[in-house]
Amino acid sequence: MATNPMHQFQVYKLGPEIKIAGIDLSFTNASLFMLLSAATICGLLFLGTKEKKIIPGKFQLISEIFYNFIAKMISDTAGSKAKPYFPFIFSLFMFVLFCNMLGMLPYSFTVTSHIIVTLLMAIFIFVAVTVIGFLKHGFGYLKLFVPSGVPAVLLPLITVIEIISYLSRPVSLSVRLFANMMAGHTMLKVFGGFVISLGVLGGWLPLSFSVALTGLEILVAFLQAYVFAILTCIYLNDALNLHH
Amino acid sequence: MANFNDFKTRLKIAKEKLKSSSNNTNNSGNSSSMGSAFKLSTDLVAHVAVGTIIGFILDSWFDTKPWLIIIFFFLGSIAGILNVIKTAKQMQEKE
Repeated sequence: MATNPMHQFQVYKLGPEIKIAGIDLSFTNASLFMLLSAATICGLLFLGTKEKKIIPGKFQLISEIFYNFIAKMISDTAGSKAKPYFPFIFSLFMFVLFCNMLGMLPYSFTVTSHIIVTLLMAIFIFVAVTVIGFLKHGFGYLKLFVPSGVPAVLLPLITVIEIISYLSRPVSLSVRLFANMMAGHTMLKVFGGFVISLGVLGGWLPLSFSVALTGLEILVAFLQAYVFAILTCIYLNDALNLHH
Repeated sequence: MANFNDFKTRLKIAKEKLKSSSNNTNNSGNSSSMGSAFKLSTDLVAHVAVGTIIGFILDSWFDTKPWLIIIFFFLGSIAGILNVIKTAKQMQEKE
């Protein structure tokens, strides 16, 4: 049985191996849970927008709450110029949130606990924000690396530091989500293992820890999706409204 | 029709409530402050790591083995600390 706490992160193939031009494109449990979360989001929003009532039903209420939450977040952090990017940030937030939340179900798989998934999203955001910045401001976007009011002697040093800080954005964005999800799920499994090994007599303490940790993990699952989306907004804000 | 009028007054009250609640800015206090705590901790680590990686790559380009990695490690640490100070200042201004 899966007493190894890292066993839950194993990616395995479901169905036959598919190889196209030397690239392994087999359907895995990770792809299954990505599809599941996308399908859940689509289903929820479809049910929510099917009947447009003045007094909303359950699904419509949930969809409206999500919509308002993201719309408010974007207008608070990135201003009105970021309105065209609403669909992207909304899908990003929903996807991360539902991947995290589906991972909280027993026997499920957490897609966001793999750094390749989060790193890909973070690199996409990083490249997109850089491209948007250069498109909006031309080479003036490079002013981001040269803050005003710095003495000329310190300028090369500050510029190098600013470049390091810009390049570390995708790293910190992806590592934060991945590390939080992986650490939380490993911890849950470890405490679950303690319950089994300590038995009926001593197992109650780790069991109560497990219950508390599950609550904490649900909070973290939401919070990490929120942080991921809000940092995307902040980076977008840097690219759209260039004032350092 | 009476039902509809009733709804209208309720909508008015709800709108006024929304206006007054949007005036206090700290309505999303706890979760966003925990979010910025997560941001601070990983930012500090990521800056040091990225600085060191840049140093390592530049070292293998210019063949100056130990020197650039040391310099960029410290530059990364400085960048991380400066970034944390900057974020903390922004958080203070918000309050």
